[in-house]
Amino acid sequence: MYRVPSGFFAATIVVAAAVTIVAQRGGSPQPPPTPKAQAPIDITGYWVSLVNEDWRYRMAMPPKGDFAGVPLNGAGRQAAGAWDAAKDEAAGESCRAYGAAGVMRQPGRLHVTWTGDDTLMLETDAGTQTRTLAFRGAGGTSGSWQGISKASWDRDETPMARGGFFPGAAARGGSLKVVTTNMKSGYLRGNGVPYSADAVLTEYFDRFDLPNGDALLVVSTEVDDPMYLTTPFWTSTHFKKQRDAAGWNPRPCSTR
Amino acid sequence: MKPLHAVAVCGVLLVAVGIRIGGQAPPSAPPATGFDMSGYWTAAMHEDALERGAGPELADYGGFPINDAARLFALSYNASRVTLREHQCDGYVAPYSVRSIGNARGWEERDPHTQRLIAIHWYNQTFEGHRVIWMDGRPHPPAYAPHTWMGFSTGRFVGNALEVQTTHLKQGWLRRNGLPESDQATLVEFFVRHGDRLVHTSVITDPVYLAEPEVRTTDFFRQHTDHQSWLFACDDGEQILGRAADNVPNYQFGANPFVGEFGQKYRIPVAAYLGGPETAYPEFAARLSTLAPADGATKQRPAAGTPETTRAIDPEPSDDEIHVWPLRDNVYLLAGDRGNVVLQVGDEGAFVVDSGSGRLVDKAIAAIRRLSQLPIQFIANTSFRTEHTGGNVKLRAAGNDPSVRGTFFALQFADAGVGATIMAQQNVQTRMVATKRPADGVPSDTFLEERRRTFHNNDAIEMFWERNAVTDGDSIVHFRRADVIVAGDVFTTTQYPAIDLQNGGSVKGEIAALNDILKRTVYKHQGEGGTIVVPGHGYVCDEHEVVEYRDMMVIIRDRVEAMVKKGATLAQVKAARLTADYDTRYGATTGSWTTDMFVEAVYRDLSGRK
Repeated sequence: MYRVPSGFFAATIVVAAAVTIVAQRGGSPQPPPTPKAQAPIDITGYWVSLVNEDWRYRMAMPPKGDFAGVPLNGAGRQAAGAWDAAKDEAAGESCRAYGAAGVMRQPGRLHVTWTGDDTLMLETDAGTQTRTLAFRGAGGTSGSWQGISKASWDRDETPMARGGFFPGAAARGGSLKVVTTNMKSGYLRGNGVPYSADAVLTEYFDRFDLPNGDALLVVSTEVDDPMYLTTPFWTSTHFKKQRDAAGWNPRPCSTR
Repeated sequence: MKPLHAVAVCGVLLVAVGIRIGGQAPPSAPPATGFDMSGYWTAAMHEDALERGAGPELADYGGFPINDAARLFALSYNASRVTLREHQCDGYVAPYSVRSIGNARGWEERDPHTQRLIAIHWYNQTFEGHRVIWMDGRPHPPAYAPHTWMGFSTGRFVGNALEVQTTHLKQGWLRRNGLPESDQATLVEFFVRHGDRLVHTSVITDPVYLAEPEVRTTDFFRQHTDHQSWLFACDDGEQILGRAADNVPNYQFGANPFVGEFGQKYRIPVAAYLGGPETAYPEFAARLSTLAPADGATKQRPAAGTPETTRAIDPEPSDDEIHVWPLRDNVYLLAGDRGNVVLQVGDEGAFVVDSGSGRLVDKAIAAIRRLSQLPIQFIANTSFRTEHTGGNVKLRAAGNDPSVRGTFFALQFADAGVGATIMAQQNVQTRMVATKRPADGVPSDTFLEERRRTFHNNDAIEMFWERNAVTDGDSIVHFRRADVIVAGDVFTTTQYPAIDLQNGGSVKGEIAALNDILKRTVYKHQGEGGTIVVPGHGYVCDEHEVVEYRDMMVIIRDRVEAMVKKGATLAQVKAARLTADYDTRYGATTGSWTTDMFVEAVYRDLSGRK
């Protein structure tokens, strides 16, 4: 049996004391940094979608019943088969494909801004939608197309890394993680491929800077919806950074 | 724990504490912390599911930022081409491999002593694509190094991502319905992990076939059990019996019979799904309803105008130095003197194939002497052209041929064995004499028919005459044990075949010569590796590059021939831009061999109007 050396405990105590000293330096306690100040990446600005995956589903209206790739269950297939664009329009439900779980797949541009120290606003010109990504509290409105979104910085740290004294184990960049619930039921694709009001949308926003100076925003999405899906629905959607608002074209939802 | 170890642990901790208390960065900051990509992974097929599974629709290029050359290449592509023996096992290039169906596996390679990360390996089941992402800071190979399906990749951790840069890719598919990615493409990738999800972003830059970088994102999910399905068996065979060797299935411009299928099925205008950078942007959705059939027809033929020029980099070094690249066993490439030179060394004198332009011959001799203390014994010329024979005189003078000295020849000729023996097909000698080249540089050991063979430095070396290829004196040289073929100007990676009708070249002979090379090559795995083919100019190749070059030559022949049969004039053939899908790779409007000259040579040969 190994005996834990007394030196180990001594060192641990010294570490703890040191951390305390660091924390207390500077007198009165400081408020924790805001989410805006903590941001490991900057996703603000205008971004344009590059539509080269699922191109025909996104650029044109696919035929009714064409839901290849989406893991629909029986109820999902039935709902997709009952899609009627005219009915949606008549019912004032033209924005069903522009809810949080579908709008990022629409060809369009994003405008992302901080509206305070703890809230990001994500606007889409496709369907003129606004998503509120709140780091504290709840962002958005329950039962709306965009639902309620909770944001956090995802640094993929291990508990040990938070201890912070092992070289190489420190936090490394990070992603914006957004979990959205309480959405009004909508469409994953324009041709009525459904998600329910119970769906949970989890997204990771990553920014990549390219050697040529361009920047990409990649939104990795998971839609969990036991009502209509056999497994989560995974997509990753990419956008290119724009220098300005060129091409920004807010337009109403469309079912065509 | 022994006391000494306890002290060591305390010491490490105290150092760490000291850093924290002092608030200073470590003396040398550790590299960006990585993440673990090891384990079993499966691709989520929720995007582009049909394309990635069953296969893409014909002529669907929507959203791809391709240029006109790529579109024309793809429309000319006939899916029956995969029945050709040489294409049956073509692998996928790295960025397309990631999009394939099947299992994947990642693992790390670490230095056993320092535990530093050397490489990350990524294996895709489809075509057994094995990528090595070097993490140890090594440089990329020179431009004249071979290209592979997976390319050469280096990586680093940036933020929360693994960033990978890849060069030296083979020509392959952007999409396996004929949409090409050239051998000039480079790749930047980002891998990010979100729990058990791995998100892969690729950015392809291809000066030959893309108008803008192509971005794609792909999702993988970690599996906890072995898939137990890792192989992708492929062995080529005879699929169509009796097909002529110069038959490469293709469609003439504007004659692809399947171009309209996709549009009819999904009610999308042809012009929309034939791709181009504009088709990836949101504004294009509103244009779908405005596109007319004429717009689609326009995209299926080359636009009028001046031919495009190559956008490929010249792989030959331009620093006035000779660069040595080991090929296999005792065979080396000497690059830098305009034409490629190949050297074989061993316990006999050096055997050299071609001598370059002669501008750097002294440096070439010095390089040879570093690899062999024995004299240069043989020089084989693949052609009479000056970029392959320019160094003959000095190379010959720098060597001698002991196989001649001490023979009867030595009794008859005072200079027997003095200097290296130069060998070539007889027409090389004839044309060099006719053009009054220095006698000391003219081949004296010639052959008239089929082949010249010798066993030297423990290898069987064969020279095969490729009659009436780019000239009437071309040979290829095959080192059989090393399995290296030196192709001379029959095959290059830098330009269209320089078919010299005045000196006996011909379209038919060039195609036959390329097919002759292919009769002798054997790939190692999934259509790559195996026999090494050294072009007269350009980077080190294998069978795949020769196949693509052969296909190109046959396809252009077919197009010109079709117009000749209709009575077209040379001006009409040139105006039709029948090489439009290859000009961004091989074309030239200036220099010693322009696209116009190539087209004219093909036309005059096929029309008989020489």
